[in-house]
Amino acid sequence: MSPIRIGINAALLLFIFTIQETVVSRIHLPITGFSLYLAALVLMVILENRTGAVILGFVGGLVLDLSPSSQSPFGQWALILTAISYIIAVSAESIDEIISRPVGLGLFVALGASLALIAYLVMDSLLGQPTGTFGRDVIVIAGNLFWTILIAPFLMPIFVAFRDATIGSRERI
Amino acid sequence: MARGGGNRSRLLLVILLVTSLFFITLDLRGSGATKSSRSLTQTILAPIQKGVADIFSPLGRFLSDIKNFPGEKNKVAALESENAKLKSQALINKDVAGQLKQLKGVLDLAGRGGYQTISARVIGHGSAFSQTVTIDAGSTDHITVDKTVISENGLVGVVKSVEAHSAIVLLMSDPAFKVGVRIARNQSIGVLTGTGGNTFSLQLLDPAGDIQNGDTLFSNGSDSNRPFIPGVPVGVVTSVDHTSATLTQTATVKSYSDLGNIGVVSVVISAPTTAPKQAINPTPAPTVIVYVTPTPTPSPSLSPGAPTPSPAPSISSSPTKKAKK
Repeated sequence: MSPIRIGINAALLLFIFTIQETVVSRIHLPITGFSLYLAALVLMVILENRTGAVILGFVGGLVLDLSPSSQSPFGQWALILTAISYIIAVSAESIDEIISRPVGLGLFVALGASLALIAYLVMDSLLGQPTGTFGRDVIVIAGNLFWTILIAPFLMPIFVAFRDATIGSRERI
Repeated sequence: MARGGGNRSRLLLVILLVTSLFFITLDLRGSGATKSSRSLTQTILAPIQKGVADIFSPLGRFLSDIKNFPGEKNKVAALESENAKLKSQALINKDVAGQLKQLKGVLDLAGRGGYQTISARVIGHGSAFSQTVTIDAGSTDHITVDKTVISENGLVGVVKSVEAHSAIVLLMSDPAFKVGVRIARNQSIGVLTGTGGNTFSLQLLDPAGDIQNGDTLFSNGSDSNRPFIPGVPVGVVTSVDHTSATLTQTATVKSYSDLGNIGVVSVVISAPTTAPKQAINPTPAPTVIVYVTPTPTPSPSLSPGAPTPSPAPSISSSPTKKAKK
């Protein structure tokens, strides 16, 4: 991934982060927990190779760490999303043409985002941060899973188009 | 889908993981850089959030109206508002009765009505695991950190961080939130903790204290009214845990404030200096002393300075502050 693409992707992530913090967080969905940002990041990661995925995960994590409402230490999301992005990239390689399967894609993205949330909770526990009740955490993760499965297939064409528009000819080869 | 990677990606993974751990260590050690980066984000986001709130609020209300039966909406809103006022009044009355029963004239009745507050709109909400809201008032409105935030029904949370024109409020539902409370009925003191949801966990501090369903909880107050002012309605006990292995009783509490639907809050920026709070020590009740004079034993001679014994045992009592023997 070229430095220019890293910058462009970071700008896009910042934009989605702003939408997440200002608009999505205000919507009271019937089942709480949907994160547009995590869904978008996992979608972007799926489209990258391992190196690109790791960089995107790290940059995406740092952007999420900037959230003023975050209670966790700065760098926690970066650590989690770097590791999760690598796992997602490796797993995505083993699934042929995942982009062309909306249901499979939605499930894959939802599982990736939920894995990130679970890792976040585990890390919170390890760092001694309060994590809330088990039931509440399960609802948040289940809510995220549900909404991401529904929404991810609709987001995919946007991110594929964005990647095609920004990718250089050298990377295309 | 692009493929590839290998050793290079693994090396990069390790480097970035170590970098993340470095950031975490810096933050946990209290580095100002990480805090200021979040502060900068809040400064940038606040105007956007405010703008979005202006645009989105009518849409949010519209969606809410669709969910409810349109004809009943206004009626329900009016009744809710009236109910909230009555509930608040009834709570205060209940608390007053509880206090007067135990310690007449103490605690924070005087302070309850006289707090200076700043009202603010909620312009943003925290993400999945973080129970916070962003309000459109900040340090320019004399808001500082660790100030109590209330709504029309009671306690909402506490100011966590402040920027010039915005502030982040840690809601009482956050697992990190703890507030000292007292039960209006018997003035027992306990600690209320957020659980991440709509219910809260209460643990009494006094092993002999008791909690009952329906008990009303009020904030206990903190030193210099920071972060909490006393006497704010907090919630009501919905179930008492009789099976808990803890030394003191625990219970589940429902808050008076609907934290999921707060649009406007008030930040208490100063409390009356005359508020009595917990510092008041009641004047000790008079102790009744009983003097018993023994029956004199007959003796052939009395020393000149000896007191003349009473002919019969006498009992007298007098109120005094110190017990004497």
